Amino acid sequence: MNSLRQILFLLGKDLRIELRKKESLVSMAFFGALLLVILNIAAGVDNQVDADAGAGILWVAVIFSAVLGLGRVFAREKENGCVAALLLSPVAPGEIFIAKALVNFILMVLAQLVLVPIFYVLFGSNFSGGPVALLPILLLVNLGFSTAGTLISAISAGTRRNEVLLPILLFPLLLPLTALAIKATAGVLAARPLFELRDQIEPMIAFGLIFSAAGYLLFPFSIRED
Amino acid sequence: MPGLNRPALLPALAGLLIPLAIGMIFFYAPLERTMGIIQKIFYLHLSLAATAFLSFFVACISGIMYLLRRQRIWDARLAASIEIGVVLTTLVLISGSLWGRPIWNTWWTWDPRLTTSLILWFIFASCLILRSAVDEEGRRARFSAVMAIIGFVDVPIVFLSARLWRSIHPTVIRSEGIGLEPAMLVTLLISILAMLVFWAALFRLRCAQYHQENRLRDLQQQLQH
Repeated sequence: MNSLRQILFLLGKDLRIELRKKESLVSMAFFGALLLVILNIAAGVDNQVDADAGAGILWVAVIFSAVLGLGRVFAREKENGCVAALLLSPVAPGEIFIAKALVNFILMVLAQLVLVPIFYVLFGSNFSGGPVALLPILLLVNLGFSTAGTLISAISAGTRRNEVLLPILLFPLLLPLTALAIKATAGVLAARPLFELRDQIEPMIAFGLIFSAAGYLLFPFSIRED
Repeated sequence: MPGLNRPALLPALAGLLIPLAIGMIFFYAPLERTMGIIQKIFYLHLSLAATAFLSFFVACISGIMYLLRRQRIWDARLAASIEIGVVLTTLVLISGSLWGRPIWNTWWTWDPRLTTSLILWFIFASCLILRSAVDEEGRRARFSAVMAIIGFVDVPIVFLSARLWRSIHPTVIRSEGIGLEPAMLVTLLISILAMLVFWAALFRLRCAQYHQENRLRDLQQQLQH
């Protein structure tokens, strides 16, 4: 009970900072939208994109914009030595991990609330599958991304080249998850029912769970100074 | 403690075994019926792949041991195995492509094994970039230990998810037995053995170099104070 209250407190703190400064969310949504527009231009004047290419376009925009948000959550704590304060406080590192992963999860969901409609406005005429069926896929990727991303952003924030290093370390780890998501999304865009896509969705669930557990166990080692 | 001034038994053994393996590949193993001479790359390809995978396994174990024990020697082992693993995986990808071009008529295809090797290459190469970006010794060791562990955890998922794509990679070692001519099998085993000894020699050498480097840095610090 106590640890739940601590997690909610940390989560509230980060969300309040985000609400007042709006730096992560605005840059995530803006950059994602920008990518979608660039890819729409790249698709040519007749804009004939099939389901496979459409899924790729959506996920390029989503993961590249997500990296912007993931980097900020830890860089902010580093700025005034707040990590040391967090570690001194009577909160276990595992709880900090859960709170930060939740922040990232929420930021990704909010950014996607902007990006998916823009995606449908720009490319939607090509697809018969509706945006609602995308929801489970988006949430599963967010789970994997926010847990692995929290762990890796704690590492990259401890180096000299934070912004460059985060995608370099994170994308190889998340490559399989992204590939599965693109495949499943292509199925959704082609209006196939979700239960036909369980070959992709089941490994995505496994991926989320494994990275949650690994992140929870390894996170203390990546922020604690000895 | 490993030193550089020990007699070089392993390198000498590797120096004997690798020419022996290459000799057996070209003069002892029979020519494959359909693929012909191109099949000979398989002996090296599989030995490289086996030792590359061994490197990442050793890196993961060293990472766990470092986080538990916090001894420098485990960091040296981790760094050595990741470096060797990246080099070996590069060679696996190159030798596989050379074989795939005439046999599959393409340099690259998204097959489970190819995908897994490529993703592993990316993960552990990024780990080397990470090591170069952190100056402080303890922090570098902790970070690369975390990356080595989580990178290795990724392997089963990568393989599982890649399995869903159709596979055209030959499976020589199956559950019902090994689909190889006895002479080919002997050649393969000698090649793997040669590569393992070579791996051990490289690993020992690199660990000893890291050990030396650390001692030199300690000495430098003592002189400054």
